[in-house]
Amino acid sequence: MNEQTTRSLLEKNLITEEQFTQIQTYRNLNIFSLHNELKLFLYLSVLLFTGGIGILIYQNIDTIGHVAILSLLLIVTGICFYFCSKNAPGFKKEEVLFPNPLYDYLVLTAVILSCTFVGYLQFQYKPFGSDYGLATLIPTIISFICAYYFDNKSVLTIAITGLAAYIGISVTPQDLVHNKFYDDESLSYSAIILAGLLILYTIYSSRIKLKIHFNIIYLTFALHIISIASINNLVQDYWFFFAIILAGSSFYFYKISYELSSISLYIFMIVYAYIGINIVLFKIFEHIDFSDLWTLFVLLLPAYFVGSIVLFIKLIKKFNKEIA
Amino acid sequence: MIAHDKNLLDNLSLIEEANSLQSGGFISKEQNTIIKKSLAGFKRNNNILVRLGFFLLGSFLYVSVCGTFSLLGIDSGQTFWNICFYIFAIVGFVGSNILAKQNYYGHGLDDAFNLGALLNLGIAIGITTDGYEIVIAFFIAIASFLIYLRYIHLPSMLVFCLSAAAVLFFGMFELGATGKTVLPFVAMIFSAGFYFFTKKILNNFSENYYSKGVLLANSFCLVLFYLSCNYMVVRELSVMLLGNEILPIEDIPFAIFFYAFTVIVPILYLVQALKTKDRIMLWLSFLAIAFSIYTIRFYHSVLPVEVALTLGGLVLFTIAYFSIKKLKDKQSGLTFKPDRINNSNAFLNAETLIVASQFGLKPETPSESPMEFGGGDFSGGGSSGSF
Repeated sequence: MNEQTTRSLLEKNLITEEQFTQIQTYRNLNIFSLHNELKLFLYLSVLLFTGGIGILIYQNIDTIGHVAILSLLLIVTGICFYFCSKNAPGFKKEEVLFPNPLYDYLVLTAVILSCTFVGYLQFQYKPFGSDYGLATLIPTIISFICAYYFDNKSVLTIAITGLAAYIGISVTPQDLVHNKFYDDESLSYSAIILAGLLILYTIYSSRIKLKIHFNIIYLTFALHIISIASINNLVQDYWFFFAIILAGSSFYFYKISYELSSISLYIFMIVYAYIGINIVLFKIFEHIDFSDLWTLFVLLLPAYFVGSIVLFIKLIKKFNKEIA
Repeated sequence: MIAHDKNLLDNLSLIEEANSLQSGGFISKEQNTIIKKSLAGFKRNNNILVRLGFFLLGSFLYVSVCGTFSLLGIDSGQTFWNICFYIFAIVGFVGSNILAKQNYYGHGLDDAFNLGALLNLGIAIGITTDGYEIVIAFFIAIASFLIYLRYIHLPSMLVFCLSAAAVLFFGMFELGATGKTVLPFVAMIFSAGFYFFTKKILNNFSENYYSKGVLLANSFCLVLFYLSCNYMVVRELSVMLLGNEILPIEDIPFAIFFYAFTVIVPILYLVQALKTKDRIMLWLSFLAIAFSIYTIRFYHSVLPVEVALTLGGLVLFTIAYFSIKKLKDKQSGLTFKPDRINNSNAFLNAETLIVASQFGLKPETPSESPMEFGGGDFSGGGSSGSF
């Protein structure tokens, strides 16, 4: 079926004869790649294994000796790290890949296990005393080092969540979605400052050309943190200040998403900006007495949505045109 | 019958082909841009996020239009309530038609109107018939099939499959206890029959606007076939529908058959998928294997869950490790090399997101439950144990 389509591309003179034969030769290899499937297996095995170990430790916390658990964890972690560093291509400023994707998952296992190790150590022996921040910071640092040395994006996300946890906010996706964070105002400020620092770091790292492909992850975190923190505060007292922050960040992400041609940043920026605008509009309308006008309001709603849709279509079209 | 411009549909398949050729590195980006410019296309969003966003906006628009209609009719009370959802459904059908005429296809807006119309039709018939399931399912099936034929709208095809299966189920319920007892076998025979029927259509008319929809129905039959005689589904349904209490020592009739089915079918799928190089069937076989393991563990759990998870992880790792080792250097056929043409890495993009949600570090709150370790939230790890 695909062959026919390729042939009609040829017939319309959209591809050359030479390209057509190349494609035909490739298709005749009859490739059935299990690349993604096997990677998924590796990934699932990491999730299952680390999850199982986690529950195992939690449930047997009083039965097997603590030293036994700790040393077992340390040994497994050590083995994982040993194999990774043996096969690692070494640190480079650009993106580097393991010769075999297997090791990416081994790195992930090692990092998750070492986080578990530190957590367990702190829970049982409190080597950092009541300084729980330090107990969060150490896994974070380990994760950052591993993320940069082994060039692993998944580990980097763990590191960033750790960094956020250190200043007291939870930025795991489910907490962001459930809007769990920023119940109190000072946390919002720290969240916004964290997001600002992440943005500044991306500017710096692209200047010194250090792992530029990580920037998109930093920026994704920054966008969601800053936007959700501001939107949450739009319904509070100092809403005007946060409206300005949201406007500023939206403008920045508008620019940067073009620069990185990242449609996901672009879309989320638009969504957050749209939500923000609607809340501000609502704030303004609150001061007007609508009791007699609400039928008119309902009648105007379809027009408002049509207007928004037209606007969005234009925005998306412009973006697609520019990055094409 | 098809509301869309046929030229554009032809162009669509050409554009999609050109895109996959570009990602395979067979043609350059510039050439692809030229191809896209020379072929007129639909208003369409390939990015799932954009499509979802427009789906939401389209739903808002739909709801607000319906709200306007309600405002006009709200004074007539009960009469309006009886017919309002029919009006809403008509709004949806009109909207879909307008969008199709404007060349929106797979845009998100059209999804909102097509699916919204079906939903409203279902509610409308539900109100008229006082919630008579088989009638609702029957009309939904017809409407979704017509929408599919007219707009080649894939999600409607899925609705059609689901509602057609629902018609079969509710039809068997009408027959009383006998119907409920033989339901698994009837569903199995039906899905097997439709599987071969759709397979035949696919083989005979490969180049057709409807081929994707038929493929979807075909895959749906595979899923239904597996689920129809899965031990857990049968057992739980028989408890639910027939009200049979199954005592610990007893078992359902034909238990051995259902157990054998649960074990053999996924393996059959896997072997067949690798043999025929059928990717959809391969993924379905993975899911079926996972569900079979879950089924058997549910009734005969030998190992505690944490040991099972850890061992499962190790076994899976070993399988993947040796498969990669074996397939790594193969140049053709079954291989570990990424396919240049059909390489969808949607999952790999989602991977970092899953890691962040499963293993993201959370702020320390001392004096909480012992669950909250410093690093790695364990309850998160546990929730991945659906395997």
